[in-house]
Amino acid sequence: MIRRIASRAAASLAVVFGAVTLIFLILNWLPGDPAALIAGEGASAATIAQLRAQLGTDRPLILQYRDYLLGLLHGDLGRSYATHQPVLERLAAQLPSTVWLTLGATAVAVVVGVSLGVVAAMQNDRWIDRTIQTLALVVASIPSFWLGLLLILVFSVKLRWFPVIGDGSASAAVLPVACLGVVASVPLLRMVKSGILEGLHDPYVVTLRAKGLGAPRTLLVHVLRNALMATVTLVSVLVGELLSGAVVIETLFARQGIGRITVEAIGQKDLPVVQGAILLASIAYVVANLVVDVSYAIVDPRTRLRSATVSR
Amino acid sequence: MTRTLSRRAALAAMTSAGVAFVGACRRGGDPGHAPGAQDTPRPGGNLLFAFDGAAVTQFALDPHKSAFAPHHRIMRSIFDSLVVARPGHRFGPWLARSWEMSPDARSYTFHLRDDVTFHDGTRFDAAAVKENLDRIANPKNALFALSDLGPYEAADVVDPLTVRVRFSAGFAPFLINLSKTSLGIHSPKALREFGDRVEDHPTGTGPFRLRSTTPGTEVALERNPDYRWAPEGAAHDGPAWLERLTFRNVPEESTRVAVLRSGQAAGADLVPPQNLLELRASPEFRVLEAELLNHNYSLFFNTNRAPWNDAKLREAFRLSLDLDAAVKTVYLGTFSRAWSPLSPSIFGYDRSLEGSWAPDRESARRSLDALGWTPGPDGVRVKDGKRLSVVIPDSQGNREKRLDLLTLLRHQLRESGFDVRIESQSGGTLLAKIGAGDFDVLAASQFAPDPDVLRRIYTPLVRSQFSVAKVDDAELNRILGSASEEAEPAARAQLYAQAQRRIVAQTYAIPAYVLLYNLVTASRARDVAIDLHGFPTFHGAWLAS
Repeated sequence: MIRRIASRAAASLAVVFGAVTLIFLILNWLPGDPAALIAGEGASAATIAQLRAQLGTDRPLILQYRDYLLGLLHGDLGRSYATHQPVLERLAAQLPSTVWLTLGATAVAVVVGVSLGVVAAMQNDRWIDRTIQTLALVVASIPSFWLGLLLILVFSVKLRWFPVIGDGSASAAVLPVACLGVVASVPLLRMVKSGILEGLHDPYVVTLRAKGLGAPRTLLVHVLRNALMATVTLVSVLVGELLSGAVVIETLFARQGIGRITVEAIGQKDLPVVQGAILLASIAYVVANLVVDVSYAIVDPRTRLRSATVSR
Repeated sequence: MTRTLSRRAALAAMTSAGVAFVGACRRGGDPGHAPGAQDTPRPGGNLLFAFDGAAVTQFALDPHKSAFAPHHRIMRSIFDSLVVARPGHRFGPWLARSWEMSPDARSYTFHLRDDVTFHDGTRFDAAAVKENLDRIANPKNALFALSDLGPYEAADVVDPLTVRVRFSAGFAPFLINLSKTSLGIHSPKALREFGDRVEDHPTGTGPFRLRSTTPGTEVALERNPDYRWAPEGAAHDGPAWLERLTFRNVPEESTRVAVLRSGQAAGADLVPPQNLLELRASPEFRVLEAELLNHNYSLFFNTNRAPWNDAKLREAFRLSLDLDAAVKTVYLGTFSRAWSPLSPSIFGYDRSLEGSWAPDRESARRSLDALGWTPGPDGVRVKDGKRLSVVIPDSQGNREKRLDLLTLLRHQLRESGFDVRIESQSGGTLLAKIGAGDFDVLAASQFAPDPDVLRRIYTPLVRSQFSVAKVDDAELNRILGSASEEAEPAARAQLYAQAQRRIVAQTYAIPAYVLLYNLVTASRARDVAIDLHGFPTFHGAWLAS
């Protein structure tokens, strides 16, 4: 297990290095002068030239790249071109909002997706199943942006249950988390349902039933556990998707977020900030994968057995 | 209410030039107060204002540095100016009690108030003014406000409360520029203490001071209890009524409307036309609209590049447009169409341009035929094997419904045989294209209170390579150069009228619409106002119980 984690970590480092280098090249290859973008419309030529010198963007690329890597080794992510603020500070200010939104939405997606998936499988082809499938289709088809607007109109403007935008209270997080989570629950729901339906035909189910185990217990304890294997993988992919999909929801609900900062920084060619965000995303990706590995072990005892055999 | 002007009147009126002030402030029906509701201001409360801060995630609250109008909407409450712009192109006292201008407009002397302190307790004086102006003028600091100082030479501290500002050439736009937030006065102590991070510690003399910021979403201000130097024309002289004033960045327009309708926010700005009509009719809300002084949103031709270096072709382009219909369709009557590059309330606006050009598809067709552009098989005109294609790059999306407008114009142009393509791209890509002159037409606006904005845009000496205009017209350069140095208001207005007429006659740019900045308040929020530049002010605002 430890050797596995070590090789994982080494691979992750390579991934991070590659991502950082690639982004550096792409951003520099894209047209646009960060100094002119920061100076703003109507700035004088002298202002722009001065900014270029201050940012160091007038130096050869290779030197800029070297300095960036050296800084990184010292844990220095550099300063934002636009605000002179340390990148770490800038990202840290936005991170909690994104983390809570992503975690909350993931939790909603898992609870809603798995429970509705089980119900749909149990009620396969009956009206409850058809209703769930139709709703899932509708939610999957409408843009999350529009769904969010709908939630705001109903629950904030009409019913006044929740605030539209954050006011420091937990209730302000309900709508954005629900919106993002419900959309993300659709693929989970479908996967759980089809996983259960497939599992029901496996020989072990016949054995269990023949031994006299009741249908609900067979389904919930044994079949669902098998179906969850694939679902766990999907959740790890989902977390990444939520992180990026959050931009729209963050904008709609006027929330802070890493996504918004990254989009803005790309537009401004604020290289240090983009690099920092990519670094963060790579780390989040690696962590999510580790968590999934551990969850495999919990859900599927075979994984534990196998790794135990290998390490011996 | 209003203080008397006396000896300052003559000076203050120096740019009035007898040009009538165009009533810019249109107010939607008086706030629907219930009969008997209280009408005298009441101190206290926190006003939550949902503003359109776009997708920007950082509030750079340095008035000298930021080029971004939404930031200036916040900073107007934190920073005061030496003078205030008043109706009729006059100026009133603010941090300066009075001032004199030399007849050649090369030197201005300001007599300052003696009772003003910054939010950090520092005293406001002539040295503070000098330090601020020197900071802006230093090219090393690379500040946006640099262009507001024109040919600045130096500021001399004559005595602790008198400062003289000298220019190497006459600089008539100085007073109006001084009334902008961008030449607002920062605490010199804060400037020294925080250096290039001063944008996180805005420290002015304004009616509100910074309480906290949440990057990207919120700027919370609190009342400055010592405030008693409101500008001429202010509703009252003392500290603001509001205990707190919170700006929330709500970039999505539908959310701004929702946050207002749900009662969470007491005010919101830049409400889209369709909601504006509905809110105007509602007794629960008050709609305020005022012209944002600016170079109107216009289509600029790349006059450096064929075929747009041909004035005849540019004119044919304009003859193909029915701006009245397009502006009406997109903005539902909330904006009017523009006739001059300048918005109507700017000094020197040339009224004679109104109605001076009209769509005429027939003569556009004849003109294109004469130029050798003949209709091809798909209706798009062709000359020497080249299609009459027009690329309009854009990076701002549908802000102010600009893409909707361009799309309508595109259909109109198609009927005359122009093939217009609107290409959306990132800001960086667009800027590189502007710098390289790689475009046919570009559409943009620029907020500016003075006609000197024409010189900044249309003359090559002052603008950077990233300016949307590529015009280099000796006659126009001469007119705009002398206009900026001309101290005599009537003569100055005359020069700007000439410049506007030349820009329109040569079709260097096609002005599209006159932008009204709007804000909507719930009926409990009273007396939020919009200043003459088109920026919201909260000094006189209060919350009814």
